Order: sequence, then structure tokens, then C-alpha cells
Amino acid sequence: MSERCAALLRDQGTDYAAALSAPPVTNLRRLGGEMFAWTDGDPRRSSALPRGAVLRHLLGRYAGPGRSVLVAGPHADEVVVALADSGASVSWLLRSLLDAEDAARNHPQITVLSGAVSKLDPTEKYDLVVAADGVDRLNSAEGEQLSAAELIDRLAEAVRPEGVLVLVHDNRLGVHHTVRLEPGARERLDSEWYPAEDENDPQRPASPEQLAARLTTAGLSVDASYAAFPDPAALTVLIGDGLQGKVSSPLRPRLGTALSQALAAAFRDRPVLCDPRRLVKRALLAGAETTVAPAWLVIARGPGDAPAVDRHELLVGDARGTFAYEVSSTAGEVRTTVVEPLAEPIERSGLRRISEPTAPGADDGYVLEERLLHLAATNDLRGMRLELAQFDTWLRALALDGLLSGPAALAGVADVFVTERGPALLPTRWEPVEPVPVETAAVRAVWQLAVQLITSGQPHPWPIASNAVDLTAIMLGMVGQGVGAEQVREAVELHLRLETADLELSLSEQHDRRLQLLAVTPGTAAVDVPGFRELTEALWRQRYEASHLLAMMEWTEQMIKSRDLAVSKMDWEVQFYKKTWAGRFLWVARSGYRVIVRDSRKFVRGRRARRAEQTNAVR
Amino acid sequence: MAAHQQPVTDEGMHHANYHYGHAHLLARYCALPDPLHPPRLQGYLQHGWNMGDGLAPGTPFVEGSRIFAWSEETRRRSWSQGRRDVVVVGAPFAYLVEMEPEPAGAPEPEGTIFYPFHGWEGQQISGDHQKLIDEVKAVEQGPVTACLYWNEYRMKSVRKIYEKAGFRVICHGYRGFWWREHNRDFLIGQLAELRRHRRVVSNRLCSAVWYGALTSRDVAVYGDPMVLDNADPTFGGEPRLRRQWPELYGHETDAAATHALARLQLGADELAHPDELRALLGWPASTER
Repeated sequence: MSERCAALLRDQGTDYAAALSAPPVTNLRRLGGEMFAWTDGDPRRSSALPRGAVLRHLLGRYAGPGRSVLVAGPHADEVVVALADSGASVSWLLRSLLDAEDAARNHPQITVLSGAVSKLDPTEKYDLVVAADGVDRLNSAEGEQLSAAELIDRLAEAVRPEGVLVLVHDNRLGVHHTVRLEPGARERLDSEWYPAEDENDPQRPASPEQLAARLTTAGLSVDASYAAFPDPAALTVLIGDGLQGKVSSPLRPRLGTALSQALAAAFRDRPVLCDPRRLVKRALLAGAETTVAPAWLVIARGPGDAPAVDRHELLVGDARGTFAYEVSSTAGEVRTTVVEPLAEPIERSGLRRISEPTAPGADDGYVLEERLLHLAATNDLRGMRLELAQFDTWLRALALDGLLSGPAALAGVADVFVTERGPALLPTRWEPVEPVPVETAAVRAVWQLAVQLITSGQPHPWPIASNAVDLTAIMLGMVGQGVGAEQVREAVELHLRLETADLELSLSEQHDRRLQLLAVTPGTAAVDVPGFRELTEALWRQRYEASHLLAMMEWTEQMIKSRDLAVSKMDWEVQFYKKTWAGRFLWVARSGYRVIVRDSRKFVRGRRARRAEQTNAVR
Repeated sequence: MAAHQQPVTDEGMHHANYHYGHAHLLARYCALPDPLHPPRLQGYLQHGWNMGDGLAPGTPFVEGSRIFAWSEETRRRSWSQGRRDVVVVGAPFAYLVEMEPEPAGAPEPEGTIFYPFHGWEGQQISGDHQKLIDEVKAVEQGPVTACLYWNEYRMKSVRKIYEKAGFRVICHGYRGFWWREHNRDFLIGQLAELRRHRRVVSNRLCSAVWYGALTSRDVAVYGDPMVLDNADPTFGGEPRLRRQWPELYGHETDAAATHALARLQLGADELAHPDELRALLGWPASTER
């Protein structure tokens, strides 16, 4: 049953006065099949709108003055505006009339087409067709319903012979569907009058190959295909076909880190079956990232003289904003190139956004976090000490008078790539404006690993019922650094600044977050992605701890009884011996008795020995 | 004496942590202010080399407690026996060797220290001491020191057998019981004795033999292994010792191989840093570097 059921919830209804007073818009065309009293911008009715710096970068390659662009379906405003700002002539197809009117009013330079995709004029062709939202929101509730395959065909038809189609296609086998924990999602979303996850449509392309084949049949050829992470609506990591499945690629370690960070950001506070990072990590090891990618982004060209398609190995960008960079490798050298700079310098909570991320040039090495997790899982304490000591030494060597500046001050173990020449930083996002004490930076990095070990249910060689402070103390102890709660608190404050800068936390959110981070105990399930699996792990740890505490109470009770009895007896003896003549007499008597017993035993043993000797002599 | 009286409960969880001055040694390593009176360890410290789960057979176990095992192999075995919270810390003796490296000008070691297999307060052994002595005398060259367990050492008849054989008879002391009468310097004395000798031998593979191998002494296990009353066969008993660690058996053994094995069994390469150990054992942290 819909959460917005009219019988239960008061709807605001239509604001007729506002509708009548709104100036008419001249850049809006109704195609037919447009939806009234509907919006795709409401997260309760529909999913999030696609956006992201890498998407904007790719689209920018095919837009430009004199080019005609069709944006099919709902997209974040910034994506469409960027296309219009490039000088292209942009038409934007929206099924919701409300959304279309808003778009037309807010963006007079754009032609807004309102209605279902089936009503598009088949004779109108475009240099660039953009469907970053996929095809699921191109049908309207009104009129004809096209299947997914037909919708793809319809988009392909709109491409000029020398044009390009940029399509993001949702992968039903993607990690975001696999880990989804949304009972009743189908009933919850007003947009799903037909289930989005119909597994029984054999025509819907279910792999990049099937998608390419469908587009080829429709007259296009796929020039580039990306595995897109972490969410179809917020693509921040694109894996090019040159890197997909290549487990020996030198870009692989960077890919792992980039994906882990992207997934953490996308799934933050979103209840899931299990943390998607684990599944993706396994897929990466198997070279199966394309199979589990939430979506595939394909760039297909018409048969004519379309612009050349750039092919990137790895593109990483912000979910909001413009910043994007490419990571590539040539002849064993890994390069990081900013493809879209920051729109303007950003400073938040005493941190500065890094505008030129760097990556170590060497291609042979490992990400410190992965190595440490492996060592922890295999109980390799020696290896763990060596790695942590190397990290600690490296960090301290970067410090000046005990203070650390630059990206290293906020580096976690996931941001460190260890090569033959030693540790080096992977691309990071923030650096402190003012230097921070190196001790605090080191404690933060290790504490973060401790939190990860506990909350993700990763195996580690230390006590099960350790909290984050315990584990931090043990790991820093491995490098000879004693740490107390005060140092951990300072590290948590530094971490909070990082999260505040990155996630733009409000003051009350910072307060709640601080309390959450300071209280990571064995029973803490997650601090970023709330996974059901991780929750059951935490529950197991809690039960373990609780049953141990009960057993311990019982034992302690026995011990107290035993000790009380022992102390009481001894006290009685002491008093007796000290105070009474009888006691003194008894003490002397007991000593005498002991002497007699000892000597009589000695006598008996001696007699036995003599008899035995005599017997032996007789024999 | 009070130490021999059976306490109200059976052998308890934590008092074995103080056997041989183990807890005291670790406290010294961790630079605790009063190492002679260390705070309680938050778990069970393995108190002797064993081929089981790290706990002495029959130890009443408080469910869910940590077990501080000497080696990774013991941790694995313990896990296989259903124990979960097992943490590898290394043997206290290995910490002692770390703290007290062999002095450069130490006198040349000579002779053999012989550890006849012993029982303990709860289990006696039966076997022919004289036969064992004859074999030791036949194999070993140079002076022989026999190190007896404290209760055998107190039995003049047993002691006399070894004395009559011309052995120097010693005892490392009483390991303590129920928090009383511990010889806190037990291992310190043992280390000194081991270093006096060139060879360490026993008729059964035991902690002392591993300690000898760790201190780079030639070690050998041979002779009648004797029989322990009510020996627990759960982990394979004496025959398994021979089968699993044949490198230590025989009159002559390979010193490099036995030393390497000892490092593994005593966790000598797994020793924790003092700050790390404090955190593991549940002792107060030191905030100085």
C-alpha cells in the first residue's frame, strides 16, 4: 500500500491560485501522455535523479555550439544546464507536466518536451541523445507502455547518423539490487505501477553484450562501455572496457580504493542486506566488476561521421560538483590527470579540498588497507607489525616538528599504496589548512582501521570483545606507541572534521556523529553503511560478550566465597596464635607433630630401603 | 602447607597465570610499576607448552574468556576445539630471553642438564628412574645436572638416586599454587641453568626442552618416557609427541632445526611490544613512547 495513500495522508492538493498566476512558458511542448499531479523529483515517489561529475565530463565531449541534444527522462538540473551552457540546443523530455513546467520556467534556454517517449516525433533526430536515467522513467502512466528493449530502440532511433547516444542501463544483477533491504519497495514507490525488477522480461538487455547487440540491431555501434559505480543515479567511478576484468592491471589497487570510497558514500545510512564493499571486493578479485556493476554506461555512435569517442580506463569524480580525474597507465607508469577541475576552491571545517590529486608513479605495489586486512585475517602478527611500523615511520618522516601538513595528515590506511620504494599516497580529497600533530594523524588512521575491523565483522587476531579504543591501543602498541582515551578522542575529532567537510554535516549531525564514533564497541554494527549481515555479526559479538559476563559473574562469586573463607580461616588462625597461651601451645605442638611425622616417615622409608637391600643381597 | 590444600573451587581460572612467575615476568616486560604484584590478566595465560588447546587438561574454563596462547599453531588448534577468543602473545620464557640476552663474556657452557619427566600435584608418574639414569650416563659426556620437579626434589629417596649417579641435583623451585608461594624467579633461575649447560635432555618432550632449544642449546629427547597416572589421551598422548616433532627425538638432533621449531612453538617471533601486550592483557596503558 502506498505510503502516500490519500485515505491516510493529507495531500497538499493542487495550488490552483499559483497555477493560474504563473506566467505562461513558451519553451514547453506537450507531446501527449504527460503525467498530471506527478513529479519525478520527489524521492517518495521515484528514485534519485542522475548526476555526477564524470557524467558531465563525458557528455561535454559530445555537446557544444550548433549541436542538438535530447535529454531523455528526469536528470539533475546541473547535468542539463551544463549541456545548454556548452552552446548546444537542448531538448529535455519529461513525463511529468509539473517537472516540465518547472524546467521550462527555470531554464528558458532549453526546450522542454512533456509526455511519454512514445510520443516523440520520429522524424526529429539529435546529435546527442542522453539517457543517463536509463529507460525506466520514459514511459508515462498514460497510454502505450513500451518494453525496456523497445525504449532502447526508440532512443537509438532519435540519434542522427553522425550522432551519439549516451545511455546508462541499470544492471538487475548489480550490487545495489543484490544488497537492497527494502521490504515492500514495490508497494512503496508510486512510480512502480509495473515492477522495475521484472526478472522475466527476456528482451531486456541483461549484460553489456546484450545491450551492445540491441543497439547494434537498432543501427548504432557501441564505442565505449563503462561499468558504472556505485549507484545508477550517482555515477562517481567509471571503469572503462580497457580495465574491466583485467585483474593484473596496475590500476587495480587504485580501483579498489576508489570503489570502496564511492560505495561508502553512496550507501551511507542506507539500510542494506550486507555491506556492498565486500561483494564488490570479491568481484574485483575475480575480475567480475562488470557483472556486479550497478549500471553500464555505453556510448554508441550512428553509422555516419560521428565525433571520435574517448576511451578512459578509469574515471573518478564527485557525485555533486564538477571535479573529475582520470587514472591511466602507460608503460608501467600510472598517471592521474584532472579532466574537470574544481569549480572554485573549497574550504570547510578547517580542511581544504584537494584540486590536484596525485598517485604514485610505480605500478607495482599494494594498498595498505588490503594488506592489513589480509594479515589480520590470517593472524600474521609479525607481518602486521612490520606494515604498521613502516606506515608509522613514513608518516613521522613527513612531519615537521611533530606537525603534519598536506593530504598525508588525513590519510587512512586505504589511502596508502606501498611500493618497493615505500609507502605513497593515493588520490585523496581533503587536506588540513593548518598542520595537525602527527600523533593525532597516526591514531586516526589506526582507529579508523579498528572501527572497520569491528563494524564490518572482519576477522582479526585480537580479543573478540574489543572496542575501537582497545584495538587502536593494541595496533599502536605494535609500533611502540602507547595510547589512551584522550588521544583517541583527538583523533575522532580530526575524523569528524573530515566527515563534516566531505558530507557537509550540520552542527547537530556532528554532535550525533561524535557520540556514535566515540562509542564503537563490540555491539556496534556499522558506522556508515547499515548492513543486516553486519548487524547479525554485531549481535553475535554482543551475545558472546553477554554470556561471558554471566559466566564471569558466576565465577567471581565462587572466587569471592573461596577467598572469604581462606581469609577468614587465616584471620582466625592469626588471632588465635597471637593472643592465647593455648594458641601458642598449639603452635608449638603442631610444629612438634610435623617434626615427628616427617622423621617417622623418614624412618619408615629407611627401614624399607634396608630391607630391600637385604633382600637383593640374599638373591 | 596451605598451598597444597584443595581450594573451595577446583584449580581456578586465573591463579595459573602466576605459575613460574609468568605474570610477574610479563609485568616486568611491560614496565609496570610493581612487577612483583602484577594486576590480574584478563584471560587465561597458557602456562606450559602443550599439544592441546593451550589450557591445562581439566582447567575449569569461564566461558567466553580470552586465552593467551603461546603460538599461532596452538591458537589454530584451540580454535578447532571450539575456543574462539584465543590471542597469540608468545611464551613468557621467550620474553625473558628477549629481556636477558646471553652476555658476551659468559663462561663456556658445559655438560648436560637433564629434566626427568615429572608429574604434578594431581598426577604422579611411574617408571624406572634408574634405567633412565643409566641411559643418560651412557649417552651424555661431561657433568650432568638433574633438575627435578619440586615434589620429587623433596622426596629424598628420588633425589638420592640421582645423587648416587653422580649427578648434580637441582630444582628450579615451586611454581606456586592458588596465588601463594610462587617462585617469582623460577624462569630466571631456569634460564641461568640452561645457559650453564651445552645440552638439554629429557625423556619426554616438554617446556624445558623447548626452552633449551630457544636458548640455542643442543636438545635431545630419549629414554623411557614413563607413564602418567590417568593420562589424558585426547590429544594423542606421548606417541603423538614423537610422531609430530621427531626432530627433537634421539641422542643427537639438528640444532638449527630444533631452534627454529622452538621459536615457532614458543611464539618467539610473535612477541608483542610492551604497549601492545598491556592492551592485550587488559593492563593499564602507558602513554609514554
